[in-house]
This record gives sequence, C-alpha cells and structure tokens, in this order.
Amino acid sequence: MMSPFQERVRVALGDRNLHVALDRATAQLGGRQSMALSTLENSDLVRDVARRAKMEILRDLGGNLKRFEGQLLANGAQVHWAEDGRQANRIILEIAKRRGLKRVVKGKSMATEETHLNAALAKAGLEVVETDLGEYIVQLAESRPSHIILPIAHMTREDVGRLMEQRIGVPYSDDPRTLAGYAREKLRDAFLRADLGITGANFGVVQTGTICLVTNEGNGRMVTTLPKVHVVVMGIEKLVPTMADLDLFLKILARSATGQKLTAYTTLIRGPKKPDEESGPEELHVVLLDNGRSRILAGETAEILGCIRCGACLNVCPIYKNVGGHAYGDTYPGPIGAIVTPGLRGLRDWKELPGASTLCGACREVCPVRLDIPRMLLSLRKECVEQLPNPLGLRIGMKVYGMVASRPALYRRLAKLARWFLRALAEEGWVKKKVPGLAAGWMRVRDLKAPAAMTFQELWRARKGGG
Amino acid sequence: MSEARAAILARLREAQRTARLPGERPDTPRSLEFASRSPEECLERFQKELAALGVETYLEASAADVRNRVMTLVAGRRLLSWDPELLPYQLASMLTSFILGRNTREEQAAAEIGLTGCDAAIAETGSLVLLSGKGKSRGVSLLPATHIAVVRRGDLYFSMGEFFRKSAERLAESAGCTIITGPSRTADIELSLTLGVHGPGRVVVVIGP
Repeated sequence: MMSPFQERVRVALGDRNLHVALDRATAQLGGRQSMALSTLENSDLVRDVARRAKMEILRDLGGNLKRFEGQLLANGAQVHWAEDGRQANRIILEIAKRRGLKRVVKGKSMATEETHLNAALAKAGLEVVETDLGEYIVQLAESRPSHIILPIAHMTREDVGRLMEQRIGVPYSDDPRTLAGYAREKLRDAFLRADLGITGANFGVVQTGTICLVTNEGNGRMVTTLPKVHVVVMGIEKLVPTMADLDLFLKILARSATGQKLTAYTTLIRGPKKPDEESGPEELHVVLLDNGRSRILAGETAEILGCIRCGACLNVCPIYKNVGGHAYGDTYPGPIGAIVTPGLRGLRDWKELPGASTLCGACREVCPVRLDIPRMLLSLRKECVEQLPNPLGLRIGMKVYGMVASRPALYRRLAKLARWFLRALAEEGWVKKKVPGLAAGWMRVRDLKAPAAMTFQELWRARKGGG
Repeated sequence: MSEARAAILARLREAQRTARLPGERPDTPRSLEFASRSPEECLERFQKELAALGVETYLEASAADVRNRVMTLVAGRRLLSWDPELLPYQLASMLTSFILGRNTREEQAAAEIGLTGCDAAIAETGSLVLLSGKGKSRGVSLLPATHIAVVRRGDLYFSMGEFFRKSAERLAESAGCTIITGPSRTADIELSLTLGVHGPGRVVVVIGP
C-alpha cells in the first residue's frame, strides 16, 4: 500500500504535461535568479546583514511583536492576534459582518492559503476573488498554488487557455497576453465593486509599524486602494527591524524571486487613509497569525522562520523540479515546505517530507538569507527516528545492519552475496522486481540501480596488480 | 482577542529558551551604509534604468518645455490628474479638462492617462516614489493605462536606502507610499512577460530642471 505522499509523487512523476510546465518555469527562473543576485553590489555582505537582521528579530520575537503592535496602533491601525487559522478567519468574518462587507478582493497571500480563508468566506456568503493572475487561475481551477511565487508553475499555457474557455466562456487562446487580457477585464470589474481588500504582507517594519507589500501586476495596489476596509494577514515571523533593513530585503527578495532589481510596485502602508484623503481604506486591520510558528521557534528548525518566501530554493531543487508543488501536499512546497509543513502541521503526519530531499545543498546555496536547509532536514529526520514509532521490521533491520556494518569481514561477505543476488534480479541495469524480506517495503516505491560487477576494493586490487 | 495575544506571547517566551538560531559570521555589521552619488551621476543612472525598464523618458531643460511636453502627451485624451496645484512647473496653468480623485470611481477608471508629480525618485532602480495625501489620489497612477509622472531633478536620490533615511519624516506623515518601478507586468503564465495587467502598461517620465 502506498501512503498519500507516495501516491501524490507517483501521479506527479507520471504526468508528462506537468513536466513540460515545470521545465519551462524552473529552468528560466532558476537561471535568472542566480544571475540577478550576483549583480547586487556586495551581495555576500548584503545577505549576511539580512540574515543577521532576521535572526535578531527571532531572538526576541515576542518583544519585537509588541513593539510592532505599538507602532501599528499609533498609526491608527487595528491589531488582532490569531493563534490558528480558525481564529484568523473568525476575526476577518467579524470585521466583514460589522461593516456589512460582501465583496472581497484578495492579493496573493500564502498565510491565507494556510488558513483556508477563501472557503471560510464563501461559506459565510461572501464573494471572494483572487486577483493575482496566477492565483485567479488557481481559483478558477479550484486547485491550489504549486509554487510560492509562481502559483501555476504546474500549468502550461494550453492548460490555462482551456480552463478559461471552460470557466469564463472566452475564446480559447494559448497566447499569454490574450489570456492575461481576459483576466484583466474580469478582475477590473471586481476591483471597482469590492468593499473589502485582504492581503498578506511581505514585511512588517518594527521601527515604524510599516506594512510592506510587493506586486508586479498592480493587483496589490488595487486591493489596498479601492475597498473601504483593508485587512492584512501576516505570519508573526514577517518582521524586519528598520526601514534600512527593509531596503536590503527588498533588493534580495526581488532578485531571488523573479530576477528583477526591484518588483514593479512596492507598497508601504502606514495606517488607514487620512481624513482629508480622497482614496485609500478607511480602516486598516492587521491580523498577526501564529498557527504553529511559535512551535517551530521552540525547536531545531527555528531558523526557517527567517524565510522571506522568495521561492528560489524550489527552482533549484532536483526533487521539486520532478514532482512539482502539489506532491508536497500542503501550502508550502519545495525544500522550504519540507521543513515548514511538518513544523506547522506536526511531524507525525508529514514525516515523509524531510526525506524528500537529496541533501544536495543547492537550496542553501541560493537562499538569500543563507538558511541551512539541509541541516534542518537532517534534524527533522533524526526527530522522526527518535520520537516517532517506527515499524518493528525497520527497527530490527537497523539493528541487524548495525551489527553487520561493525564487523568488516562479515560485512564484505554479506555484501558480496547481496550483490550477486541483486545482479541476478536486475534487468537492463535496474532492479525493479520485488525483493523478498525486509527490503520489500523499501523497494515498493523505488527502483534500484544494479550493483557494479566489482566492488571498489576489488577494482583497486585488480588495477594495482595489473599496473 | 487579548487572550490569543497573551497565549501567543507566552508561547514565544517559552520557545525563545530552546530556539536553535545559529549565529551569523562574526564580523557581520548591523547595517550597511546607503549608497549616494552626485546629482549628475544620479540623473545619468536614473535615465539608464528607466530605459532598461521600458519607460519613455523626456529630459526637459525648462519649466516651459515640461509644460509643452506634457500638453503634447495628454492632448485629446481623457485625463485623470492629481490636484493641478500639486503638480510642479505650474502645469495647473495649462490643464483645462481633467478628472480628479474626487470624481466617481467609474469616471476615474474610464480615464486614459493619469498625470502625477513625484515626491522622490530613486536613480539606482529607476523608481518613482508617490506619497499619498490630499489631492494626490492613489488611483491616478494606477487606474489609467498610461501613467505620466513629472519629476523634478532635485528630487532624485541615488538609492532607496538614502531616500528612507533622509525622508523618514515625510514617510511617517503619509498613510501610503507607492514605489513604482516600470510598467505593470506579469509572467505568471509560463514566465512569458505581459505588460499592463492591472496597473499602467505604459509609464512616461518627464524630467524637468
């Protein structure tokens, strides 16, 4: 029997269309980013300073949140605290109810993906429209984003054309410009009618209580400008200390996410509109969301809370590039998801994710804040072995292996036997047949390359003898 | 809700004790000096970056040239504008027919060109900084398909860091600050670039003396 994770991976690996889409997306994006980060003056130093700023925030996250809250209140915003997604959704529904708000437009937000806000709003009878082009298409498909900054990395242009034809009744096209034009028409109407705007936050500046949002399309500006109420849902880890730090983070985020020097629109929000202003929201609410983050902070993977969600680690990950985002099963895919998801949702149900990595370290190389992702994956694997119950077969197997591996003569003899046995099973260089005994479980979801005819030691002796 | 606040803060206090937060390289500074350049270098870099972003740029020698340039650009088109009094180079004296941020949303959305001044500009990235305030409706640089921004040479900063540092007070007074770097764009469908999704697909900068 396959686990749900193994089943998702099996489906992804067999989906040719997915591979076309993923290749087109990650190849280009990965190349652009690495070039862009290297064009930044002093890029190594900038990354060090940015990392330092994030770690400082995390070392006193509670104190920093209180200071941030104080600034927000002084700026005229209303602050709410949510322990989990349900609380966050309830807070937002109460705001909507109190003001009689019915039509919601949303900016791209991973935090509200986490809380399943759209479903909660729809259930309460509110109309919700995602306005980022990728998220809009995800919403039409009743699917979920598969990449942190490129929600439809799993779809080809042909997929999008067929979807729009079916769902909004426009003529089929595979031209991205035409497709974006269709979305613009639909969304423009939604923006003009909306009375509640909901966004995430890329950064919150402790020093000034500034909320910072970056978008390329301008949807973030629409959402924060036109509706009379704006709600920001932000994870409690999204703080940076000062405006000077924000400057650095904006530089590395744009470069690492899309390869731009700066995103087209950087929106800095410091309170609701002033009484004499013609535009802007009358009310600004900030919902500070924990939802498992404080649990992550307590442990070995606390460092992951410094993640700025640029998505760079996805584009270079050999696993992500083959299975795409949906195989990871939750909001955050890729190397970052393999750490964040078990942290937010509990290791017990997500223990396979830390294993979904080759530990090649490409993610650590590209991470703009130098998160040591492989170290954290290893510590989660360790936690799995030490704290979660393992099947009896595995425990016995590991014991036996330990005994054999510490006796070289025995090890060599048994290895020789195993090699002979596996070579006998192999076809065209691969062992794909069922293997009996303890290895059967391992082989169920893996193919094994047939062992070489000679071991390294045998080869060594043979060469030495000959030369 | 204060219950949730207390619970989260208590958990964070507890978590802080066992959190594993590896340190940074020992000689990492707390912050970096912002970059600054001479006005001439700023202007040159600004123009170069705007060109790379696909922004139409006009460098004018006098206030009268700026007015003429703007009049040529907006002639015969439906115009949405900042309060003309807030535009530089006495542009108010020339503008006759326009819509303002006070008009209905539909009227504003139907405009073809949005005309704004610019509170600051960042040379290093080719960015325009617009601070919100009375008479400076945020929709002007957002709703129409074309945005024309009039920039005074003296408002140029080299880096964003320099602007943040030197304009902290102005930033504190404004509820919203928008930093515009080129036209609205998306690459969500197979990373194929499309301009003008929700914001203006065409950005024009007129730089005056």
